[in-house]
Amino acid sequence: MSALLEKKSLRDFDWLLAFLAIGIVGFGTVQIRYAQPQEAYWVKQLIGLGIALIAMILVAVTDYRRLLAIAPAFYIFGLILLGIVLIPGIGLKINGQRAWIKVPGIGQFQPSEFVKVTTAMMLAWYFGKHRTQALKVPEMAVGGLILALPCILILLEPDVGSVLTYLPILFVVLFLSALRLRLVIGGIILALVLLPVAYWVGVQTNFVKPYQQERINVILDPEKADRRGFGYNTWQSILTVGEGGLLGAKTTSEHSQSSLKFLPEPHTDFIFAVAAGNAGFIGCILVLIAYAILLSRMITGARRAPDRPGMLVIMAIVGGLMFQIFINIGMELGLLPVIGVPLPLMSAGLASLIATFIAIGFAISVQLRRFVN
Amino acid sequence: MKFVDTSQNLRGRLMVVQIVAVLLLSVLGVRLYLLQVVRGSHYAEIAQNQRIRLLPITAPRGIIFDRDGHPLVDSRPIYNVILSREDVKGKELSSLVQPLSEGLGLDADILRDRFEEIKSLPAFESIPVKQDATPGDIAWIEARELEFPELRVEQQPQRRYPPNGLLAHVLGYVGEIGPEQLKHPEYRDKGLKPGDVMGQSGLEQSYDDFLRGRDGYRKVVVDSRGRIQDEIEIVLPQPGQDLITTIDLDLQLVAEEQLRNSATKRGVIVAMDPNNGEILALASAPTFDPNLFSQRIGTKEGRAEYVALLNDPDKALINRAIQSRYPPGSTWKIPMAIAGLQQGAITLEHSNLLCGGGITIGNKFTRCMGNHGTPDVRMAITKSCDGYFYRLGLKMGVEGIVAMVDQFDLNKRTGIDVPNEVNSRTPTEFKAIFDRRSQHWKEIDTVFASFGQVYEEMTPLSMLRTVAGVGLRGKLYVPHFLKELKPVGEAGTPDYRQARGFQPLDSSRPNPKIVSIPEKINQAVVEGMWSVVNNGGTGAGIRMAGFDIAGKTGTAQVVGLGKDVGKNKDHSWFVSYAPAYKPEISLIALIENSGFGNQHAAPAVRRVYDAYYRKTRNEEPPGALPVAKTAKPTRKTTEKPQDIQTVEGQ
Repeated sequence: MSALLEKKSLRDFDWLLAFLAIGIVGFGTVQIRYAQPQEAYWVKQLIGLGIALIAMILVAVTDYRRLLAIAPAFYIFGLILLGIVLIPGIGLKINGQRAWIKVPGIGQFQPSEFVKVTTAMMLAWYFGKHRTQALKVPEMAVGGLILALPCILILLEPDVGSVLTYLPILFVVLFLSALRLRLVIGGIILALVLLPVAYWVGVQTNFVKPYQQERINVILDPEKADRRGFGYNTWQSILTVGEGGLLGAKTTSEHSQSSLKFLPEPHTDFIFAVAAGNAGFIGCILVLIAYAILLSRMITGARRAPDRPGMLVIMAIVGGLMFQIFINIGMELGLLPVIGVPLPLMSAGLASLIATFIAIGFAISVQLRRFVN
Repeated sequence: MKFVDTSQNLRGRLMVVQIVAVLLLSVLGVRLYLLQVVRGSHYAEIAQNQRIRLLPITAPRGIIFDRDGHPLVDSRPIYNVILSREDVKGKELSSLVQPLSEGLGLDADILRDRFEEIKSLPAFESIPVKQDATPGDIAWIEARELEFPELRVEQQPQRRYPPNGLLAHVLGYVGEIGPEQLKHPEYRDKGLKPGDVMGQSGLEQSYDDFLRGRDGYRKVVVDSRGRIQDEIEIVLPQPGQDLITTIDLDLQLVAEEQLRNSATKRGVIVAMDPNNGEILALASAPTFDPNLFSQRIGTKEGRAEYVALLNDPDKALINRAIQSRYPPGSTWKIPMAIAGLQQGAITLEHSNLLCGGGITIGNKFTRCMGNHGTPDVRMAITKSCDGYFYRLGLKMGVEGIVAMVDQFDLNKRTGIDVPNEVNSRTPTEFKAIFDRRSQHWKEIDTVFASFGQVYEEMTPLSMLRTVAGVGLRGKLYVPHFLKELKPVGEAGTPDYRQARGFQPLDSSRPNPKIVSIPEKINQAVVEGMWSVVNNGGTGAGIRMAGFDIAGKTGTAQVVGLGKDVGKNKDHSWFVSYAPAYKPEISLIALIENSGFGNQHAAPAVRRVYDAYYRKTRNEEPPGALPVAKTAKPTRKTTEKPQDIQTVEGQ
């Protein structure tokens, strides 16, 4: 019986998803090493990958229903982590943000990355009940609260960028939990109209500070922006990407944008720019395709999920990943203001890596049990 | 879908999420296409430029030697503090004034002026902030590398001139190219940029293109803070061409000494080889220290020194040989005598004219210094008889004098190869002024025009060229200092700069200019000049047996007779060449406001002849005047600047 299960598990295990993720991490590690040749970030990334793979397998072989059943416990554990990181002495302060916990041997661990998974689980747990009618306001309020608790703690770090990547998790869950279509469409239209208006009013009333306006202006026209001040990061990132051309830059690694420290944070926030410089347009498109397949594969898994919580936990994670990929790469390509979030699977960072692989583990776990019901 | 799903179109909603995911990634793909494929080369170029920096390596200028190979001017390596503009972008230059003036001991006002100057210029790579930085300065910069990454220390050659202002007017000096010069296409087209050092006076200026080397550069990779990480390419500078001058340092030292020891310490001595125009010595006193311009002008003290020089009543910056005009006095009689004979106003057979102790034109009497009876032309020169020449002038008429001026190029520059030579003023010019004003040129004016006092103001060099030319029977060479510019580089390569001798700047003027003087006429005048020294004439005091000097004294009035005392004393002239019938060397001396030519100028000239005689004949000249010992400049050897290395401020 167990041998049969093993065989069946091996057959149903989503190898494509796992290897795609490992492949992206491998590619990312090469870029990390290129970006910071003197540092051991790439070694740590490989160690992180090992840990993440173990976590993924553990999650994958465990019945996701048993994990989701104790989602509130995970959720509270996540909140505790976010609380601990705020304590000076335990939480590590980097660039004014107390967002990291020091882990001996491996480096730093960013709870806000990891808590995305527990929050997604909690939302799946709460919205996973059998549903016969459209979403009600109290339900939405509870969903909002579930999201708000970790977000508030993260804002205390303060890390606005991370909070931004939390919002899509809730949106996707609500959207898939029978949120009325007119609310969705109305919301989108309202956002499209209100955003520019709000910005305009903000500028007029001086609510949006000049430096924030600068950041927006940088996006609107990076060439004319203050390339040495606010626009510096965006401008250097654009240069690095642009230099990549079709097939990758011809510059030696010692003279690259990252080695000469023109490109900031090349191994984390700006890893995609490094990759774009090295691999050129062709390489970048392959990476984007890899991400597209990865996300599609997970969505397919969600579609085949045997129950609503399984579907929701995958999709919540997909929503988070999808927007985080867009925000990060969009920032590196000068489409979005500089927001310090890592690129899933590519940026150096233990928590991000583990969280993403746990998420993939969930997707695999759900798929493995699609016929068991 | 495995679970019951009736409340919503879940399948459709999942599809929406799927589509959004693909859409978002597509947006990124399009953006990548724009950045990498459409504008890729544009960004690549900017990225390249921001990490590559060209650091110039200043080429040492050519060394200037005297004709015997003594180095006169060379360069020594010093450390300069350089400010690189690339790294100062976005930083207000004025914010650097305070810390730099304190840290490097610079004058804040000078620094501010400098930044202000630079700001108006379109582009520069780097500018020197402090010359000749001390080890303390270098340490200060190294310690503040993070604070001021835009500062570098570079080794550069600095020009070094001889002490005591020796040859200052001839050598000239170098200085940084000025803002006005930078706007001038002549300099811009040569690729000169702010901070470049170029010849600003004297030989340094006239042969700047040859003396100036070709700067090399280092192509380096810098990081985002402007710190040098790597060197991609180095192009070594090519030194400038060495310049051999015609100057004879031995004569020059004696000449300068004569002026230093002269009554007023103001004057000129020029020694020239009449056979080719090579200047052997040119001393102009008072002199100045050219090192002021090459070394100290950037300091407060240096500026004060410069202002003092500009306001100096004795005008030390002026090269008196070519930039000052003096009434030629009796030296004017030499061309007058030649022209009078040529034009037939007098003949060799009947050249006697009355002295009369002077001449009365109308009711005005113009006197002669003595009463010489009725001398012939030789005797008139020997005794410097004014009365004779008044009458000769009247016989020639003003037209004759004008023709003479033309013939001897007296109203033209000599064409010497140092800049800013002024034109002498001659009766030709004054006659033209009279004509323009419809003023009548009277007989008395012709008398005035014939004795070198009223309608003549000559540069000493022009006078020397004339008399030296008479010594050669009418061959007037263009005076010059350039003997040879040494070649640099390997023949056949594009960098090769070939050897070059003197070529007159104005190629339309013949060199030499030939004044055809019949031999007998010339001989008569030469005999007159010979007698001045050798036959009891006005210069008899400096006679050298066996080395016959032919010459003419001159005493040029500064003010009217009777008031010629103290500061207003007459200028003392002596113009000459020797030996009289086989000229080797011509010499002129003018001592300002010292009195009679035979008392001041002639002895000065004689001492230079003594030095020449000692050098060429290897024996003590007959009847040499006592000389004070002059120490030669102590510096004998010249260290050629080593390979120029650049030291970064890190």
